[in-house]
Amino acid sequence: MADKRDFIIIGGGHNGLVTAFYLARAGHRPLVLERRDVVGGAAITDEFHPGFKVSTLAYACGPVHPDVVRDMRLQDHGLEMLRSEAQLFAPSPDGRSLVLHADPKRSAESIAALSKKDAEAYGRFHDTLGRIGRALSRIQTIIPPSIDRPSPRDLINMLRLGKKIRDLGPRDMHRILRWGTMPIADLVAEYFETELLRAAISARGIFGTFLGPWSAGTTTLLLLRCAADPDPVGAVSFPRGGMGALTAAMADAARKAGAEIRTGVEVTGIRVQDGRATGVVLSGGEEIPAKAVISNADPKRTLLNLVDPIHLGPDFLNRMRNYRSYGTAAKVNIALSGLPEFTALKKAAGDGNATLSGRIHIGPEIDYIEKAFDESKYGNFSKHPYLDVTIPTISDPSLASSGKHVMSVFMQYAPYKLKSGDWSQRRDELGKTVIDTIAAYAPNLPGLVLHSQVITPADLETTYGLTGGHIFHGEMALDQIFTMRPLLDWARYRTPIGGLYLCGAGTHPGGGVTGAPGANAARAILKA
Amino acid sequence: MGSRYDAIIIGGGHNGLTTASYLARAGKKVLVLERRYVLGGAAVTEEIFPGFKFSVCSYVVSLLRPEIIRDLDLPKHGLEILPLDGTFAPMQDGNYLWRVNDHGKTFREIAKFSRVDAEAYEEFGKAMVAMCHFVKPILDMTPPDPTSLNLKDLRKLLFLGRRFQAMNSNDRYNQVQLMTMSAIDFLDQWFETDILKACMSASGIIGTFLGVRSPGTAYVLLHHYMGEIDGAFRSWGFSRGGTGAISNAIAGAARELGVEIRTEASVARILVKNGKAQGVVLQNGDEIHADLVSSSVDPNLTFLKLMEPGHLSDEFIEQVKRYKYRGSSGKVNLALDALPNFRALPGPGAHLRGAISISPSVEYMERAYDDAKYGQFSRHPYIDIVIPSLTDPSVAPPGKHVMSCFVQYAPYHLKEGTWDEQKEAFGDNVINTIAEHAPNIKDIILHRQVVSPLDMEREFGLTEGNIFQGELSLEQLFFLRPVPGWAKYRTPVRNLYMCGSATHPGGGIMGAPGRLAALEILKDYGKGTI
Repeated sequence: MADKRDFIIIGGGHNGLVTAFYLARAGHRPLVLERRDVVGGAAITDEFHPGFKVSTLAYACGPVHPDVVRDMRLQDHGLEMLRSEAQLFAPSPDGRSLVLHADPKRSAESIAALSKKDAEAYGRFHDTLGRIGRALSRIQTIIPPSIDRPSPRDLINMLRLGKKIRDLGPRDMHRILRWGTMPIADLVAEYFETELLRAAISARGIFGTFLGPWSAGTTTLLLLRCAADPDPVGAVSFPRGGMGALTAAMADAARKAGAEIRTGVEVTGIRVQDGRATGVVLSGGEEIPAKAVISNADPKRTLLNLVDPIHLGPDFLNRMRNYRSYGTAAKVNIALSGLPEFTALKKAAGDGNATLSGRIHIGPEIDYIEKAFDESKYGNFSKHPYLDVTIPTISDPSLASSGKHVMSVFMQYAPYKLKSGDWSQRRDELGKTVIDTIAAYAPNLPGLVLHSQVITPADLETTYGLTGGHIFHGEMALDQIFTMRPLLDWARYRTPIGGLYLCGAGTHPGGGVTGAPGANAARAILKA
Repeated sequence: MGSRYDAIIIGGGHNGLTTASYLARAGKKVLVLERRYVLGGAAVTEEIFPGFKFSVCSYVVSLLRPEIIRDLDLPKHGLEILPLDGTFAPMQDGNYLWRVNDHGKTFREIAKFSRVDAEAYEEFGKAMVAMCHFVKPILDMTPPDPTSLNLKDLRKLLFLGRRFQAMNSNDRYNQVQLMTMSAIDFLDQWFETDILKACMSASGIIGTFLGVRSPGTAYVLLHHYMGEIDGAFRSWGFSRGGTGAISNAIAGAARELGVEIRTEASVARILVKNGKAQGVVLQNGDEIHADLVSSSVDPNLTFLKLMEPGHLSDEFIEQVKRYKYRGSSGKVNLALDALPNFRALPGPGAHLRGAISISPSVEYMERAYDDAKYGQFSRHPYIDIVIPSLTDPSVAPPGKHVMSCFVQYAPYHLKEGTWDEQKEAFGDNVINTIAEHAPNIKDIILHRQVVSPLDMEREFGLTEGNIFQGELSLEQLFFLRPVPGWAKYRTPVRNLYMCGSATHPGGGIMGAPGRLAALEILKDYGKGTI
């Protein structure tokens, strides 16, 4: 085992696999080491109850960047994307509801039942976001520029992006400037009067963050997400077979390109000599030398746990410790004996199943979501949480036996640090809160539950290696994005240690299953 | 009224008076019109109860630009700043934190809680000075428009970019954080002592509808820190005679330069003809003509109340309507028979001469905000107390005192009831909160004046009671203040200008907006566009 590898990639999550693929395609033979028995990191499918499979953590694509899909030829490696007819169904406690589709005209029809004015505004909002999102889309694949010594490539990138933005004209430019730092609650209030619609759109600005809709910077997150997908609430795309099918296809593509992937291999340390990474140490004590090491683990885990602090300066260590990565999300996966009946759906026209095939948004008002956030500030999980629910078995029956369903529930806010008790004691309480919350909209739900799997922020940390249980490898806030992700001066996938790189969601453009950080990292490494 | 002026300034607050002075200094014939009987706007001293002079709204000063003091020779006109030393923060458990200008003493005080923090505090001070040096030129700069390709704008942006690039890595890191983070996230990186963070974070929320955990508040923290490094005053201070004395000093300078000032002259309408401002019409029907009009009142009043519809595009009006005010603070001014006696540090003493901050914990501060978010005044509010009569005996009868309590949060929009109904309950709640720390307060109150956000709107013309003429939130700063595309003191109407706190660099008794507006107006004179 003494043969020296050119690249070792720590962690076989989707970004690690993307990096491996691009390095292999460039003629290298990267070795991916995954601690768990399956690749995929947070993009996996598990049988969580006999006969029931679910996307355990991440449950929809970000979407995966089209360049990545094309380059890796994921379709040829078995990936089949399912598009649901409805994107988002948002029930309200009063029995009314909202159904948003990819086609803004269809969405407007649904909105019109609540407000004619909003139906009209939705078209404008959709188009404006579309224009801005497309102009910003390039930002995803840019390696954030160096501030000290911008390279010619940096300048070209920024000028190109600047030109795209300038071409939008002064009105949209002013929008971008103003929106950049605005709370998303203010943005949606400028367009819409219906609380349900405001809340449904605002959710995209707070998803996975320790921010509420009234927090500044949440509109930036909407814009960043719109750079990947300009739809106001985001399109829904599930891989057939769950998210594990996506990463399986990625692993296949990487292997065929020449990468080697080993699972069940835990890296416990990164060897550093004379300021350069020289290899990794495995849990058994075995060492694998390498010319460079690339970490798909989060920045804190990589730089504070895997590297001996002696190799990093005190300023850097201090900044890294201050990198905020306290998670706020939990996941509850539920095995169901049948399809839940949503009260609001009975009143809505059309095919019920189709309406439920996208995402189901629970969070009827801005204040509801803000109050859910308030509790997390003081170390409690939300009594009335914001939920993003999917029932993937509607479009992909292969996940459960006939007539049975699985429900995947993303729950916010569940703070990593609890004021009282610890997560192992409060797991069931969290699961019950989630089921009770949904039952207010679908009263027959509790009777259908066969099993539920509750994944707390503590589980996200211990089982899946996410420091602080943060699903995005660190908070997506104004001071931790783009040239500041993970840290200002270290946003170019490099670290202060030569030959040690980052390629995960803790780098630009951040979390969500897009593969963009992995692809950017590979480019940065190949240039080095 | 046959008289004709070069310029009419709407509003006799400190900014309006500053603009008037600078224009007069350049030889223009200027008229200032003030609606109230007294000058000063929100920088005003009034004898509300016989013998007791209150700085009714703003109560301390630190940001007044030194070049204005110099240019207008304000000390000659009676400006005298008296020091306000230290911040005393009593806690619920009877403990307290007292920070003063004396470094050694502050070190020992903080070290009572944490030695690490005491050391970090020194470092923090140094870092903030570096940050202020970066931001200071921005205060003296008319904001460039980043969407224009105008050479001057590009040069200014390049200048800022270069300055940023020239900073060392640590300063850059701090600067970026200050511009984006919440006050508490920022302070968490420096300190571990809760009371220290709570008390320091308070300056990050003053005048905003934000909590100490809201991103963007670190900037407001810096905005308030700025005063502490200025060459002219090392620190926050009182103006002898109350904050009205500052306005009076500027008015004195203005008059000497030939400015005509009228009080109780309420402007009803700005005269616009052929897309140009030509003067104003007063409430009494008088028409006064001038080459230009500069408004120191906020955009809501300027564009939506004082102008007839039709002169502005729908888009501009939409932008003006979107500008956020959301007043969040109230004032309780007390006439006292004696000094309050704090449980944490009984008896009279130097701690009463500085600011007294009721900000006992970070959670307390954030919960105060939570109440306001849902339309209630804070049940346990943050209160910033000063007793100016200890430093400036001229504002109260011998042996008596005035106490100014700045209270947050008092949201302009209440979920239930009106401010007129809730005002006294609000006042009682403030007194009860103070009584938890200084139990004798209830026995020593001679008179009480409660100023609600609604009062600020009605009395002082501050829309929704916002003390800064619009929130100091990130999307309303610099080239976005008050609205994108119109941050250079000009408006879509030719010869109509803005010169109040709703323009860059915003609120506080700074005078910078008034001065920068005057300089832009004089530039237009130079170009011959007026």
